Amino acid sequence: MPLPPDRVAYLPMVDRPIIRWPGNARVALWVAPNVEHYEYLPPAGVRNPWPRTPAPDVQQYSLRDYGNRVGFWRMLEVLDRYKIKCSTTLNIGVLAHFPEIAEAMLQRDWAFVNHGFYNTRYISDFSEEQEREFYFEIRESFRRLTGGREIRGQSGPAASNTERTPDLLAEAGFLYQTDWKFDDHPVPIKTRSGRFVCIPYTGELNDVPLISSHFEADYFARICKAQFDQLYKEGEENGRLMCFAIHPFVIGRPHRIKYLDEILNYIMSHDGVWQATTDEIAEYYLANYYDQAVAHAAKVNV
Amino acid sequence: MAVDRGYVVPQMRRGMDHPHHDYQPFDGRRPALRWPNGARLALCVIVNLEHVEWRQPEGSYQSPTLSGGYGNRPFPDITRWSHREYGHRVGIFRVLDVLSKHGIAPTVAMDVLTAENYPFLVRHCLGRGSEIIGHGISVSRMITNEMPEQEERDYIRTCVESLTRATGQAPKGWLGPEYGESTRTPGLLAEAGFRYVCDWVNDEQPYAMNVTRGELYALPITYPLDDVDALWDRRIDIDQYSTVLKETFDALYEDGATNGRLLALNLHPWLIGQAFRIGCLDDALGYMLSHPGVWAANGSEIIDWYAGHLPAG
Repeated sequence: MPLPPDRVAYLPMVDRPIIRWPGNARVALWVAPNVEHYEYLPPAGVRNPWPRTPAPDVQQYSLRDYGNRVGFWRMLEVLDRYKIKCSTTLNIGVLAHFPEIAEAMLQRDWAFVNHGFYNTRYISDFSEEQEREFYFEIRESFRRLTGGREIRGQSGPAASNTERTPDLLAEAGFLYQTDWKFDDHPVPIKTRSGRFVCIPYTGELNDVPLISSHFEADYFARICKAQFDQLYKEGEENGRLMCFAIHPFVIGRPHRIKYLDEILNYIMSHDGVWQATTDEIAEYYLANYYDQAVAHAAKVNV
Repeated sequence: MAVDRGYVVPQMRRGMDHPHHDYQPFDGRRPALRWPNGARLALCVIVNLEHVEWRQPEGSYQSPTLSGGYGNRPFPDITRWSHREYGHRVGIFRVLDVLSKHGIAPTVAMDVLTAENYPFLVRHCLGRGSEIIGHGISVSRMITNEMPEQEERDYIRTCVESLTRATGQAPKGWLGPEYGESTRTPGLLAEAGFRYVCDWVNDEQPYAMNVTRGELYALPITYPLDDVDALWDRRIDIDQYSTVLKETFDALYEDGATNGRLLALNLHPWLIGQAFRIGCLDDALGYMLSHPGVWAANGSEIIDWYAGHLPAG
């Protein structure tokens, strides 16, 4: 009997079909700004985001809101310098509350990854019907707020998921999710209704967990460059996927922004980098490698 | 409110407050241990292949501070589960490549869920000359003192049977999930045929444990270098990690000139096997192995040598 959750076939990195990215790039890079809104009065839910005081926690609320008022715009200048096409893990609420931010992202043709309405609402204890309704409403809101665009991927709000999430996402017309942080390749995810993939996000190259546990942005740059170096070396033989995740309220602080510049300057000065969006990576993988990976996994796991 | 008088004034006696081993100070009087070919230092690298369970099994014990992901999150905790799965899918191969590069045969601590569900990994580890040792059923099922004795006996037997089926050989070594033990564990391990245990991190040489049946040695892990302790719990950076690995080596190498020392490095591929971290391991092991008089060996080789050359005294 397979181990739960039985969503992925085991595929060891040393025994896999070779992935060739467009332009024969060694590394596909996606950059994930988390553009989020945390509520002033978070409703009671499966988690309390700020248990230190009864709501409102003005310090923690405004610390994050700094990202939308100030940090986002400072971050944008650096991203523009390197013409980065971001894949934002986006609280859809931001589009409604802060149309200036929506306009800036839409102008740049970023990819949008559903990160729930707000980062203070978790899907963990949704019933199947509620989760289905949630995806319907997310897609409707997204279309309405973006002039008819379609949203293709999901990063669970504050990493929350249910056991049914891949099935219901696929059923609702999503192509991918990013929550399974277990690989340096896209990974086929089994669902009731067929083809669906994970484009792995990262909890390691991620400014929030890193900088909230005693490191500063210089170390973020250090490890992002080290990650790139290793993947770039390995990607010569078999293409690799790299993600790093940033939050405007963290990386957009004055003393940190130069390290974002340092990371992008370093990576983008290399040949053989496919700086792509999650939408592009998912489509490319589904079109070229998904079937091969599924067929190969059947041979490995005997 | 008051406490018992025995709490205020505890009973004290010479030696350890448990029966599992004696107090053997590493003062100038400890007899000299000589490793093969006069090596100063034995280097053992233990690689953990452990599975965190999607849903915590009823009645089992998982450490509330289990590493990985974003810490404890509501079910399903996809972040910690997938972070750790990275080790099995990707990280392990980077770690084994680095060990091969430096001529180190790994000692792989493998749990039952890995042995039974990742046949590729079992074959791969064996193919690369690994010694496979017991590591419990899963990291979500620690042994603690609340596990009844018969349940613990069955638990250990399950591990022996499973690894024997998967590898063709009964494991000789043991590292409990999260170093977990009950007060009965050493005796039960010896009874089940184990020859050494890595849970006790209190020395720089192997030592004999007191058991009534069988023969059991401690192979003490150099705990501050355990990647989970250093890189996760204490959040030291990758450059510092490389530095403390080398500094530990330097000091043990110097001390080992008079009395052989052991450096037992405990590693988790989901952590050290991340692309940005692997270079610091490569760097530090390269440094260690550039010295003469370093014996890279697996757990059984070290314990066999120790047991066969017990220092007089």
